[in-house]
Amino acid sequence: MTIAVDSSNIDAALVDLLNADASLNALLPDGTFMDEAPPGAKRFVIVSVLDARDIPRFGGRAYEDTLYLIKAVGLSMLNPNMKAAAFRLDQLLDDQVLTVTGYTPMMLHREERVRLTEVDDIDSTIRWYHRGGRYRVMQAIPQV
Amino acid sequence: MAILSGRYGKVLYDPAGTLPVEIVSISSWKMSQKTDKIDVTCFGDTNKVYVPGMKDCTGEFGGFWNSAERALWAAVDATTPGMLQLMPNSTEPTFFWEGLAYLDADIDTAVADAPKITGTFSAAGPWTMEPPITP
Repeated sequence: MTIAVDSSNIDAALVDLLNADASLNALLPDGTFMDEAPPGAKRFVIVSVLDARDIPRFGGRAYEDTLYLIKAVGLSMLNPNMKAAAFRLDQLLDDQVLTVTGYTPMMLHREERVRLTEVDDIDSTIRWYHRGGRYRVMQAIPQV
Repeated sequence: MAILSGRYGKVLYDPAGTLPVEIVSISSWKMSQKTDKIDVTCFGDTNKVYVPGMKDCTGEFGGFWNSAERALWAAVDATTPGMLQLMPNSTEPTFFWEGLAYLDADIDTAVADAPKITGTFSAAGPWTMEPPITP
């Protein structure tokens, strides 16, 4: 028998972990968000699900294996310290234990580094810097 | 009766050989009951001819390493066979195969994956299908 779990708790745990870090907040003061930042945000972290798989066992789900894109995003005009932001993200995430309500942590680590520059859709003199990585999160579902 | 999925399969084991209990964190099992065929082809036969020999009963089950579940590893060192029960779907709990078996175990651990275990069994006594098939 499987204990009922809420997969969104994994997303929330990541967001909460990053929002709770003072060093990261100092670098990216607008905060951490799932999928998109609110209007007006200029230095922030975006967490999005790239791939999510449920690994079955007899009678239920053994664990959830989710690949997240987690990146610092900064507006060029503010001269954000993207190097420090990406480094802090990695310090908080790579090979760390992510505690999620209802789950038993298995693994959290970076699989690939991400770094790109985006030209703003409206004002081509503006750049958005993106830096972070693809992080794999595995969380087991306790069996009773 | 209907075709059911394997999602609610079960593997159960009792080292004492009486009342099997579920081995948790298992995700697959398979059993093979092939009968040896003895070649009795003679001069003049137009094709090979066989007669049945002895039925074999072996198989394996697989799943994930769970430190709270070490029945398989205890079975590996057992000097007497335990009772193994294989159930295709626990929503039909009266349908299963069972018998005494010796178990072997493998574990496969990779840096980016959950450790996987495999149990291999060989019959150590007569195996039966429940409920029995009546001719």
